[in-house]
Amino acid sequence: MSVTVARPRFRLEPYVEFAKVAMAKEATYRFDVFTSVASVLIRVYILRTVWVALYAHNAAPKELPLHAIITYSTVAMLMSLVMDIDQTRVLHDSLHDGSIVLDFTKPMRVPLYFIANGTGEVLFHAVLMLPALGLALLFVHIDVPSLGTLAVFFASFLLGYGVGFCINFILNCTAFWTLEITAVQFIVTWITDLVGGELVPLLLFPAALQNVLLFLPFAAMFSTPLLIYVGHIPPSQYAVALALQAFWLIVLAAISTVMWRLGTQRLVSQGG
Amino acid sequence: MKRLRAMARAYREYWRINVLTTLEYRENFLMWFAFTIVYHGTALAALWVVLTAFPSMNGWTFREMAFLYGIWMLAHAVNNTFFSEVGNIPDHVHEGEFDRLLVRPLDTLFQVIATPGQTFPDELILAVVYFCAATWYSGVHVDATFLIFVPLIALGGALIDAGINLMVGTLAFWFVRVDALHWIVSQLEQEFTRYPVSIYSRSVRLLLTFAFPFAFMNYFPATFFLHKPENALGLPPAAGLLTPLIGLAFVTVAYAFWRFGLKRYQGTGH
Repeated sequence: MSVTVARPRFRLEPYVEFAKVAMAKEATYRFDVFTSVASVLIRVYILRTVWVALYAHNAAPKELPLHAIITYSTVAMLMSLVMDIDQTRVLHDSLHDGSIVLDFTKPMRVPLYFIANGTGEVLFHAVLMLPALGLALLFVHIDVPSLGTLAVFFASFLLGYGVGFCINFILNCTAFWTLEITAVQFIVTWITDLVGGELVPLLLFPAALQNVLLFLPFAAMFSTPLLIYVGHIPPSQYAVALALQAFWLIVLAAISTVMWRLGTQRLVSQGG
Repeated sequence: MKRLRAMARAYREYWRINVLTTLEYRENFLMWFAFTIVYHGTALAALWVVLTAFPSMNGWTFREMAFLYGIWMLAHAVNNTFFSEVGNIPDHVHEGEFDRLLVRPLDTLFQVIATPGQTFPDELILAVVYFCAATWYSGVHVDATFLIFVPLIALGGALIDAGINLMVGTLAFWFVRVDALHWIVSQLEQEFTRYPVSIYSRSVRLLLTFAFPFAFMNYFPATFFLHKPENALGLPPAAGLLTPLIGLAFVTVAYAFWRFGLKRYQGTGH
């Protein structure tokens, strides 16, 4: 069944509403919200203990002293509160139950609807980073860089978020062709956590691997903003680092657009 | 006796349905199997990276940590293969399916364990293969004690795993939605079993030994087989062989809690 996309005059307000509704929905599961923030406490304790144990009995690597690596891991964990969200899961779900056909009959731009919905979810979790940060500070000391570096970090985080968003979107788009992709998404998430530098800084990887991994889109998600934060990427290299992130964002956004076009063209209702 | 025979028949049927379902959804099965490999592969890769950059963690080398991981993986896989449905109790409760189990003539927990799904011993096979490789790689001496105790330790560890899941599942009788708690408990188990328990402070070690005995899943057995001079709480090395008993004791406590919860269960009103 082919569907024509309705193109009414564009108004922003409905999308703001979509985002608000998504935020409210996330806030409903209070027990879930509470436990996920509270677990930060234990996870920070573990990461501190692990790095302290490693640094106690070995020579510290020059580029990452103990305080820097604890800062790195803690900020990475806070970032993951936002990065781990699959904002466009709703696309996958509505392809599954067929309700996507109804979405297309509504007077809205469907991709923008998905983006608004995802933004609402993400903003809610971004706010959660604050209490999580408060809890983390009970156990660890985090280095705070200069305001300028902090600003570049947030810009880089935003670019990295965009890259993650596109990767999730592309995966969810594959649901146009195959229907069950949860396992594939899990695989991608687990690999991203490792080769993106969330679990272990890429600087600790053997040099040959590092040279490859630092240039992949996964590093653009976690490693680049984090290395800016801890000062390993100096101001003179900011432009190059952000440009590489922007490059990946553009490439993946282009792939996302193509996937979306091809997908909607061959949209087959799954009996919904 | 008649009841036991009925249970044995139901259990055989359960495995027959599992295998048939797996064969039916072959691609799906293969993708989840690929995820299982990636899941353990990334964990081990992260350990490898860290222990190449730092040659030892509290006196443990990568080879020894690979063995530590292997014992946990074995126990965890036994749990995932035989008791995975215990982790789904909260789902059964809030979807109201749980009530159906209460009116049938077989033990409720047995019915939970024997709820057919897509269970297949793929992770267990992977764990056995990995464990053999890790044993060889870490240079552990294989003798009669090793051969007798390793399967028992894996079973005991699986009972600890299942006991935790049973306790969280029982909480669902009161709180209905315990998904986040369930997820966090399994995350913590994963993190606390990955590194030698000796890196933690004394109070956390006590907690991991006596309250949530994750340390018995792999740390104590590994220190025994690797002849590590350290021991987190000054227990004799042979404490590592107590895992089967600890597992039994722990699952008994969890089962008592489950019975207690079952008597008070009121359903979600479906």
